[in-house]
Amino acid sequence: MGGWKSLDKSELAGALLLMAFGAFVTVEAWNWPYLTKDGPGPGFFPLWIGIAMAGLSGALVVLQLADIKRGRPVHRTSWKGAGPVLAGCLALIVAVALLKPAGFLASYVLLTIFLVRAVFRQSWTAALTVSLASAAGFWILFVKLLRVQLPVGPWGF
Amino acid sequence: MDVLTGLMQGFSIALEPMNLLWCFIGVFFGTVVGVLPGLGPSATVALLLPLTLQMNPTAGIIMMSGIYYGAKYGGSTTSILLNVPGESASVVTCLDGFAMARNGRAGPALGIAAISSFIAGTVGVVLLMLVAPPIAEFALRFGPPEYFALMALGLSMVVLLAGKSMIKALLSMFLGLWCATIGIDLFTDGTRFTFGQIELMDGVNFVVVAIGTFAIGEVLTNLGVQSSGQNFTVPKGLRNLLPNWQDLKDCRFAFLNGSLVGFFVGVLPGAGSTIASFVSYGIEKAVSRHPERFGTGAVEGVAAPEAANNSETGGALVPLLTLGIPGSGTTAILLAALILWGLKPGPLLIQDNPQMFWGLVASMYIGNVILLILNLPLVPLFAQILRLPGYVLYPGILGVSIIGVYSVDQTLLDVWLMVGFGVLGYLMRRLDYPAAPLILGLVLGDLMENAVRQSLMMSNGDIAILYSRPLAATMLLFAAAILVGPLFRQVNSWRLKAAEQEA
Repeated sequence: MGGWKSLDKSELAGALLLMAFGAFVTVEAWNWPYLTKDGPGPGFFPLWIGIAMAGLSGALVVLQLADIKRGRPVHRTSWKGAGPVLAGCLALIVAVALLKPAGFLASYVLLTIFLVRAVFRQSWTAALTVSLASAAGFWILFVKLLRVQLPVGPWGF
Repeated sequence: MDVLTGLMQGFSIALEPMNLLWCFIGVFFGTVVGVLPGLGPSATVALLLPLTLQMNPTAGIIMMSGIYYGAKYGGSTTSILLNVPGESASVVTCLDGFAMARNGRAGPALGIAAISSFIAGTVGVVLLMLVAPPIAEFALRFGPPEYFALMALGLSMVVLLAGKSMIKALLSMFLGLWCATIGIDLFTDGTRFTFGQIELMDGVNFVVVAIGTFAIGEVLTNLGVQSSGQNFTVPKGLRNLLPNWQDLKDCRFAFLNGSLVGFFVGVLPGAGSTIASFVSYGIEKAVSRHPERFGTGAVEGVAAPEAANNSETGGALVPLLTLGIPGSGTTAILLAALILWGLKPGPLLIQDNPQMFWGLVASMYIGNVILLILNLPLVPLFAQILRLPGYVLYPGILGVSIIGVYSVDQTLLDVWLMVGFGVLGYLMRRLDYPAAPLILGLVLGDLMENAVRQSLMMSNGDIAILYSRPLAATMLLFAAAILVGPLFRQVNSWRLKAAEQEA
């Protein structure tokens, strides 16, 4: 059992998550016809995908345990710098949530200001300059020149 | 009319000042629009098609082919500089192109992309000119079992895209295959894995997954690194911004490999440039004396897929011009354009409209030269993008990515999915799962499932149809050899180690 403890926790979590996902795909595919009178049904392909994913995830854990037992080097996950990543990720989620009510330009400006100020720790001047200049560039290039339709806020842009 | 006379006549048409201008405008606009993520060659050609409808057919198709070429090349620029693949065929370019940019070699990577596009584009046109009719007839022999075998060959390339762990690469590929099953099942009209979302009925768009895992994943990864002050380096001086003689020498085989693979895969309807770029990259890595350099900035890793991507253009035109069969989204739009111009694509097109055919062939030669002349001087300029500080570059990439994904179908669900795949891409980087096999699975999954199901319908469920036809059997044997090869090498290394320990 010592092998389990020496497994990288993130690696183990990733493999178990994929195994659970493979099981989910298998169960879903089980509900669809595997074979029809014309040949393979809609469940045919996903069923094998699910089984393969679950099996490979299990094999990944087993092989890593074997590597540890034999003293071979195994991948160790580093979460260094995860704080700014999490902040950036949350900011991106908020910006996407704001796309419909506020429009692309406003949500992009807010996202950029947050990233420049909070993640990259630059001045307010830099944050405002970068966000407004790039938003203006996007608007001219995509909206005006290429006529790409982007989400529009109540203020018309 | 023999080839030489036809070509001479073609050049006399293509070199007319107005046609030359249309070719230049086509290449220029194609490159500019093709640079933008989400706007691949088919979207770019569709977007710019109205510009050509008022022209005479010869001038129109000359401009369209320029747009096609330009758009193909444009897609590689963001892949190399920003890790943002604008289209599926550019994903492979990201692997070594972006690694070269990170190593301070963005300029040589862009230069090699331009040069290989030029060489492969020219080879593609030569082959189009010489072997179009017999090759098109050969391609028609491809039935569902052969397509299944071709897709299996494409998927076997996962071996060559795997990093340290083959199992992780396979898991990534199966995740991509699962993504390909999302949406309506065309055989039964039932939905699969749509979770009640109407927008998912058409499946998950490739652009969403590619931009999410590559671009957003890269930005998130760099937010952690950038805050500790690391940045890209761009060397000064023009000589350092263009490929050197050694780079060109290293790419000799890649140019040839990519050109031939791109053309012959391009001829097959539905196969497309994605499989061509993956296969050429796989071959390049397999025959390389230093396969370990691939993925870390090997210049051949840029040259081979870029050559395949561009040579595919010539190949894709073969079934279109000789049989009237569009093999891809872009050639389907070109087919529509030909019909709008009053032409009848099919076996008699070349015979009935020699001016148009040879004018097109000659303009493709000229288009390649224009592409090179236009893009090589721009390489140092494009490379300067990487000089931008992280706080300008990364929000910019996020903005371009959101626009690129939203512009595909104008749906916010795609943007949410992009964020989801971005987080997945970040986690995959941390846990050392390669992202390219996911894209490979997604792009080929649908085609493979259709081919398997059509084959088994043809044979009333007899699985032997998949491997009993000679062409399919040959490709499956290749695929098996590629898949089993590393296993043999691993077993051999264990055997050698055991023998050493015993000694």
